[in-house]
Amino acid sequence: MKDAFKAISKDFETFGAVEREGEIVFERVEAFERVSEERSRYAPKEFLISRNENVLILEDYGKTAVFGVKSCDLKGFYLMDRQILGKDPFYTEKREKTLFANFVCNEPCEGGFCSSFGGPVLDQYDLQILRNEEKYHVAVSQRYDGYFNSFQREDGSYLRDFNDRFNEKMDILPVDGLESRMKWSSALWKDYASRCISCGACNFSCPTCYCFDLYDEGEDRKREWDSCILAGFTSSSAGNIRKDLDERLRQRFYHKFVYFKRSSDTYLCSGCNRCVEDCPVEIDIKEVISHDYSEE
Amino acid sequence: MLSVLGTGEAPISVASGSGRTLAFTIREIGSVTSRIKDSKSVGVRGPYGTHWPWKKYDEVLAIAGGIGIPPVRSLIEEMVDAGKERNLEVLYGARTPSDIVYKREINEWGKSIDIHLTVDRGDSGWRGNTGFVPSLLKDVHLGKDAAVFVIGPPLMMMNTVKEALEMGYREDRIFLSLERRMECGIGVCGHCNIGEFYACEAGPIFNYSDVKGEKELFL
Repeated sequence: MKDAFKAISKDFETFGAVEREGEIVFERVEAFERVSEERSRYAPKEFLISRNENVLILEDYGKTAVFGVKSCDLKGFYLMDRQILGKDPFYTEKREKTLFANFVCNEPCEGGFCSSFGGPVLDQYDLQILRNEEKYHVAVSQRYDGYFNSFQREDGSYLRDFNDRFNEKMDILPVDGLESRMKWSSALWKDYASRCISCGACNFSCPTCYCFDLYDEGEDRKREWDSCILAGFTSSSAGNIRKDLDERLRQRFYHKFVYFKRSSDTYLCSGCNRCVEDCPVEIDIKEVISHDYSEE
Repeated sequence: MLSVLGTGEAPISVASGSGRTLAFTIREIGSVTSRIKDSKSVGVRGPYGTHWPWKKYDEVLAIAGGIGIPPVRSLIEEMVDAGKERNLEVLYGARTPSDIVYKREINEWGKSIDIHLTVDRGDSGWRGNTGFVPSLLKDVHLGKDAAVFVIGPPLMMMNTVKEALEMGYREDRIFLSLERRMECGIGVCGHCNIGEFYACEAGPIFNYSDVKGEKELFL
């Protein structure tokens, strides 16, 4: 792995997950041993969607490699791709030039539910890494295959079998058919609205939330991460179609589990549990999935 | 999208037919729209989204309420330029006679196009219809196979669609122009969704059959 990392570092500006003051963050790294296997504090979506940038200039982005993203975070990009790749020139340009090396978790994390969406071994990846003691099992896309010529070849069964064993250790949530089960008039939305403080942390921590706001600042036209939970999200000169917080919370979950399923044939969630961990009032997306709507 | 650099962008429909000089009719209502007129330069980005599919139909009934009239101006110009104005009938309602936009054009169009006007509240000089837009539907001469294009405030659109369906117009030939907070124009910023559709991309003009089940349709 070390040699492959070195070779990749020659061609890419290389970042990795590292520990800084008790938190895992991404920064420039020079050696594979430095890369942490722990999940980063924030989802790495900033590599593709800036928190804030001027959209009047499309920079020439260099080639970037990011080591140590977790499978759930990387899966977020493959989900976002379906909506924005090829349309958003900034995202598309960065996506094209960024190699993500995702680490497959050896054990389920607390609260995570990736197995409900397929498990930690992804079927789309640039470079997928599973550590087995001192050995690494690597799945690499054709595009980056050249960096792994010295690796011993194996068929994909080890990773597949690992994924199956992993998924048996996690509770599988009743995700299938959620788009027809969820209820517009469910009491959940008002219940959540009674506690939610509209902070938007769920959106910002989510590896699949892609919404942004556009506004002018001086001579710049800025895009900035936005949150569908904030009151101004749908406000216009014609009024506001989601004035109430319960309507906005419902929109967030309907987007993930109903609208995106209809438009892209997949749910807009990777099961990372970040939104649950970051929510100050204990709103749990797993409850939205498991809730018995038929009783309402 | 029209913009004033330093203030922002606003989604504005094209009010002219394709091939003609680009025209916009803008109500001064927000920060961008109130600065456009006096701005030295205006940014134009687009066009985005769908347009009136008039070419697919033999007859078109265009129904506009209030400030919904500019995109109908574009439709009228296109059908006039194609020599199809006899296949078009227009219903247009405004709050009061002074709210009617394009008075001069309406007189001109009226020579070759059946245009019905109504106002919610007349004044001393008003000799025309008084009543909401759907009340004009009974005066339409076109057949029930005509495509029905509806644009205007949500309540007006809802009542117009309801009335048109009751009168026997075909659901799959009703088209609505739906307004939302459109920012990016390319279906990525997430602000203008109507169910699974982004109005800037799949709309703003939708076939009613495609969106009739959406809970946030007439908002």
